Amino acid sequence: MIAVLGLVVGVVAGLLVRPEVPAAVEPYLPIAVVAALDAVFGGLRAMLDGIFDDKVFVVSFLSNVVVAALIVFLGDKLGVGAQLSTGVVVVLGIRIFSNAAAIRRHVFRA
Amino acid sequence: MSDHEEQPANRLREELPDEVPPSPSAPGDPQGARPERNGLTGRQRLLKGLWPPRLTRAQLIVALLLFGLGFGLAVQVASNSDSDSALRGARQEDLVRILDELDDRTQRLEDEKQGLEKQRDELENSSDQAEEARKQTLEKERQLGILAGTVAAQGPGITVTIEDTKGTVEADMLLDAIQELRAAGAEAIQVNGVRVVAGTYLADADNSVSVDGNKINAPYRFQVIGKPQDLEPALNIPGGVVQTLEKEQATVTVERSSKIVVDALRAAERPDYARSSSQ
Repeated sequence: MIAVLGLVVGVVAGLLVRPEVPAAVEPYLPIAVVAALDAVFGGLRAMLDGIFDDKVFVVSFLSNVVVAALIVFLGDKLGVGAQLSTGVVVVLGIRIFSNAAAIRRHVFRA
Repeated sequence: MSDHEEQPANRLREELPDEVPPSPSAPGDPQGARPERNGLTGRQRLLKGLWPPRLTRAQLIVALLLFGLGFGLAVQVASNSDSDSALRGARQEDLVRILDELDDRTQRLEDEKQGLEKQRDELENSSDQAEEARKQTLEKERQLGILAGTVAAQGPGITVTIEDTKGTVEADMLLDAIQELRAAGAEAIQVNGVRVVAGTYLADADNSVSVDGNKINAPYRFQVIGKPQDLEPALNIPGGVVQTLEKEQATVTVERSSKIVVDALRAAERPDYARSSSQ
């Protein structure tokens, strides 16, 4: 419950504060957000499976974000940033879908 | 799927997949995950996690991370939906390409603008010229209409009245009077309601005179537009029209006026044979 509250508070704060995103971080923020979403879905699925562990969640969340940003950074340096970020988004999207499917099976039994 | 979740991010391929820790039930087998520890189903666990709220370390940490996620999400969505931020996340090469396209487009539009402005100037000039030509044509038509007798005219001039009680005035005397008036600069003449133009002829008709086939009777009344100071002396010169007529016992009165109206009209006739050779 507190976790859900945290999410809601974060969204509200982001909308209210509207901070200027630093130019250096700008290309990585959307990828980082998608990676974090993937981690959250994975964590939700683990919770439903009864194997949720907060340490694992924290590490996977942070590493997902860092690795996604790193890939995009590397892609930018190599000159294939656009393609690589597309690839990262596709991979993460597939994982989100499969996690969402598992969650759906738990919640709806279907 | 690998389960090395706790390892640092130096092995990218292994790091991204599943963050589900080692589990007796394989992730690929969701049916096997149903009867789990504590004998709870996933749905019961979800409800238990949601309510009642428990202030545990795990909840706090997850809340913190989710706060970060929500914050980033909202910031990204907000900056993305700003009107001018379509370019903010764009890469350098994209920006360069967009700039090039914009330059090209600007150039094309500039060319088009110049062409259109040129066209507009030409049209304005030509319409000015057409307007000028139309005005001149109209003016000319008016002038020619006065000469041809198709429009009414007014201006300073004289009125000549010839009283002929004895019936001695003949067509050639009136013709002399008209010739004299024309020589003195008369611009429009009418006699008893008949406009005198270039093709006017006068003929004797028993006891009176016919002008262009219209019989007119004495008194003959000329209305003449021209410079009165020229017209009156022209008639009164010794041995001139007035003296000749008075010799025939007709009485002639010449009256100057600042406003003579010549309103007898004549239909414009298309000549049968003569054609303009100027075109």
